[in-house]
Amino acid sequence: MIGYTLNRLLQAIPVLFLVSLFAFGIIYLIPGDAATVIGGPTATAADLEQIRRNLGLDQPFHVQILTFYTNLFQGDLGRSLLLGIPVTEALIQRSPITVGIAIYSLAITIVFGLITGIVAALNHNKWLDQAATLFALVGVSLPNFWLALVMIVIFSVYLGWLPTGGYVPFTEDPVGWLRTTTMPAVALALLQAGLLTRITRSTMLEVLGQDYIRTARAKGLSEWQVIGQHALANVMMPVVTVMGLILSVLLSGSIIIETIFGVPGIGALMGNAIMSRDYPMVQGGLFFITAALLLLNIVIDVLYTWLDPRIRVKGGD
Amino acid sequence: MKVDRTKTILTSSIAAGALLVATSALAEPFECPNVGGELIVGLQAGVPSLDQQTNTSSATRNVAMNVYETLVIRDENMNPVPDLAESIEVSEDGLSYTFRLRDGVKFHNGEPMTSADVAASYQRYKDIGFNRSVLDIVAGWETPDDSTFVITLSEPQPTFIENLSSYTVPIVIMPEEEAGKPANQVDIIGTGPFSFVEFVPDSHVLLERYEDYQPNNTLDGVSGFAGRKQACVDTVRFRMLTESGARMAALETGEAHIVEDVPTISQERLAETEGVELVRLENWGLNIGYPNFSFPPTDNEKVRQAMVAAMDMEEIMDAATDGAYKLNGALQFPGQAYFSEAGTEWYNQADPERARQLLEEGGYDGEPIILLTNQQFPFMYNTSVVMNEQLKAAGMNSELRVLDWPTALATSEQETEGWNFFYTGWITVVAQGGPTTLRNLADPNNVHKPKDNTGNPDFNAQFEIVENGQTLEERQAAFAEAQRIALETVMVIPFGILPSTQGIRSNVENYKPFYNTRVSNVWLEQ
Amino acid sequence: MAAPDMLDTVGERPGALARVRAGAAPFLRNRAFVTGAVLFGFIVFATAATPLLTDAAPNELSIRDRFQPPSLQFLLGTDNLGRDMLARVLYGARLSLGIGLSVVLINALLGVALGALAGYYSRLDDILMRIADALMAFPAVLLAIGIAAALGPSAVTAVVALSVVYVPRTARVVRSSVLVVRELDFVQAARAGGATDLRILRRHVLPNCLAPLIVQLSFVFAYAVLSEAVLSFLGLGAPPTVPSWGILISEGRAYLREAPWLTIVPGIAIAITALGLNLLGDGLRDVLDPRMKVEQG
Repeated sequence: MIGYTLNRLLQAIPVLFLVSLFAFGIIYLIPGDAATVIGGPTATAADLEQIRRNLGLDQPFHVQILTFYTNLFQGDLGRSLLLGIPVTEALIQRSPITVGIAIYSLAITIVFGLITGIVAALNHNKWLDQAATLFALVGVSLPNFWLALVMIVIFSVYLGWLPTGGYVPFTEDPVGWLRTTTMPAVALALLQAGLLTRITRSTMLEVLGQDYIRTARAKGLSEWQVIGQHALANVMMPVVTVMGLILSVLLSGSIIIETIFGVPGIGALMGNAIMSRDYPMVQGGLFFITAALLLLNIVIDVLYTWLDPRIRVKGGD
Repeated sequence: MKVDRTKTILTSSIAAGALLVATSALAEPFECPNVGGELIVGLQAGVPSLDQQTNTSSATRNVAMNVYETLVIRDENMNPVPDLAESIEVSEDGLSYTFRLRDGVKFHNGEPMTSADVAASYQRYKDIGFNRSVLDIVAGWETPDDSTFVITLSEPQPTFIENLSSYTVPIVIMPEEEAGKPANQVDIIGTGPFSFVEFVPDSHVLLERYEDYQPNNTLDGVSGFAGRKQACVDTVRFRMLTESGARMAALETGEAHIVEDVPTISQERLAETEGVELVRLENWGLNIGYPNFSFPPTDNEKVRQAMVAAMDMEEIMDAATDGAYKLNGALQFPGQAYFSEAGTEWYNQADPERARQLLEEGGYDGEPIILLTNQQFPFMYNTSVVMNEQLKAAGMNSELRVLDWPTALATSEQETEGWNFFYTGWITVVAQGGPTTLRNLADPNNVHKPKDNTGNPDFNAQFEIVENGQTLEERQAAFAEAQRIALETVMVIPFGILPSTQGIRSNVENYKPFYNTRVSNVWLEQ
Repeated sequence: MAAPDMLDTVGERPGALARVRAGAAPFLRNRAFVTGAVLFGFIVFATAATPLLTDAAPNELSIRDRFQPPSLQFLLGTDNLGRDMLARVLYGARLSLGIGLSVVLINALLGVALGALAGYYSRLDDILMRIADALMAFPAVLLAIGIAAALGPSAVTAVVALSVVYVPRTARVVRSSVLVVRELDFVQAARAGGATDLRILRRHVLPNCLAPLIVQLSFVFAYAVLSEAVLSFLGLGAPPTVPSWGILISEGRAYLREAPWLTIVPGIAIAITALGLNLLGDGLRDVLDPRMKVEQG
């Protein structure tokens, strides 16, 4: 177990290096630069030159990349050009907001995804299956930014149930937090819930067709015992593995969703950084988010190996 | 530093400012009729930073200019007026300017504001301030005592105070210890009626009333960024609501008291919505664009003139604003000191035949005319779409090149090839008068990219007079001639005037639209 | 083309059509596949037959006719510049589907090539999969946005950005199939029989990876259409001169309240396309997935 974990961590090192290289390199392809954005339309060439000098953008490439890695090893991702604070600080400030909404969204996803997926599988090819599958598919097929816009019109403008946007920290006002995060969380969850429904359904179908389920049924266990004791545990496995994917998709979606709802999380931070060419923020943010996801995936994989149903099946039956 | 026979300048503009306030039925100094509550403002753009000395963004000014003050700033009619200064005296030789600072002014950290803070703030602006070229003419400054700040010029410049009071990136005064910090790393401490509480980027900025605020009593109420400012509400929350649908919804549901930029299409409905009122700034900015003099075929004057001839400005402005606009072929708004109709006979010809004729005279051979536009600003995009159709209808091989705004802007600034016409908006520059407006077209800025970055010598000569002419009449005449040259040679094409409509809840009192949001002297009815 | 009565008439002659019929039957029995085919077929038909469905040009301005709600004259209404939305949505489909299809083709070529190499040659596997891991470690849309912002907005940019995002995923699917197939008896037999690697890959391995590949590609198509909309919405996709659905939503959202059709119609077009493709993918998986076959057999 420890060997496997260490092995995964070692394997992650070259990946992390490649990730950092991509993150550093990607931004240098960008035409236009931060100085023109900060300078605005009335900036003169001399002004732009001065801004570049102030920000270190006039350094040669090799100096910049050397600085990038030297700082990276010291845990320093540089300083945001526009916010004027260290990138790590900005990321740490914003993370709780996005993570909070992600957890909320994940909860919605799991409850909806698992229930509809299992119901669909148990009613294979019956109308409930069709309905659940259709729901899942519609969820996967709707552009979530479009859904977000439509939700604002329906729930804020016409019905007046929820605020149009903004964010209230949970620690200040839990009800306010719920009111401001529900629409973003639902918009983000819909795609995931659809994804999870499909995975749960197909895994469940596969599991239900396995020999040990047949054996269990043949032993005369009730359907609920079969599902509860054998099937469900096995369905959880692929669900655990897609958790990494789901979180990754959640973070992607948050760029647009947080912008639309005015939520000051990591998504809005990254979206703005990309649009305004905040080099250190984009590089640091891409690296930080991806490294975090990578480590999370290792944790998930280790857990998965630990819980692997095949091992348990072999040991049990 | 000898200030012998001094004369007070600005008397005329102070008088004009006072007159304005007097006629606007505020007979006595403004006092808040009602105090308390939280005012919520819905901004249309994200606030990138509150470091007012290094940011040009309008969103920065909307917030920061309620926190910071300057020595001298513009009033409602864009005339320079003292703000943190009590008086400004200029020596006979025009070389030294003496600013007497207002008594009893304290920073939000409780420390009194002294001339040392002013000198440090000016030094910071000279080092990293955005429009620091304004201070190029300054030979040095001195602080004879705590409440006196003296600037010495290397040569006389009649428009020095006008330049100094320019508010695109104003020279705001901050405590000496903050002035030592690099761009975007200052703590937000000013002397204004509101003090800074918190800034959550992409979300909101919170300000609160500064109890120890010392108002400037030379005017009875607020005028421009100056005057007698009072914080009538306890707190102001500036929320960044960039999605216009969400911003309008926030106004309708009462989540915001004031919102910027109400789309034309929403105005009719909102005007009829109970509890909502619309206020409009008619002359907000000029919808404008300029050709590239370095890249064929727009290096050819006849082709440029053909473009102008082909254009139906009514259709363009109609599309740009969804129907709320005013036609204007000048580079200033009607009523401004420098407004002139010189050269506007070429505006809005809508004459494709004349365009074809000019094309023929110019030997136009169907070369592509690349219109460099963006979608971040819908008025620019819609302008380019309609103009593209009109140019095509007049026989020009035009095409749109749509980039994101930062890239389009960088391309227009740094590239002399690959684009023929760039769309932008002159929002604050026009309001600030002649010299500021023309600076973009003159050496060395030259947004229209003349060959070797050397512009039209006649135009530059006139601009020199606009900047340094001794009398206003002289400067006005030069402006008119410069505008005529600019429009005749098509250094720039003005499309028309963009208004700005803002929405307010009806319990918001005394809110007046301006180029930036001012929350002083605004109160909430209970 | 497979109308049942037509198939019946040729039923007496056992030939190609009969084989098609026998092969098609499980697909036609699969409700998801049929529904998906109908939905996606509808979109493809509308895209192909656009000039028959509308006379209007997608970029023709008519400022006076702006913001017309859907009516008999303008079936899907008009936008802020008076352009016909039916024409814009139909012509927009070309770009949206074109970008999706390009991404699918690149995925088919590169994904299969890289996946087969990685799966078959364990020495290449390590390097290729580390690169794939690194690319897949980035959140998909975040990476696409980053690349698109770097390259500047264009249709090619969108294709490149989405390909960088999805090719590693397709390669992974192909690789894992190859890993399984490679160890099967008949492949071992072919190898023992002295067949070259290329021949084994081509004749034995790849045909057996086709099912998961086709399923994967149908999902890639759906994701590509959705992601293209995201890029265009952010102004990072194709230029709006010939609009894509994402651009239409982005342009319409400013008028969401007063002219909701500008936003809703292209959103529904995206949803129908993605739904159709997802259903197709599901149906294909149900029918083609070998594990399912095992269960049925």
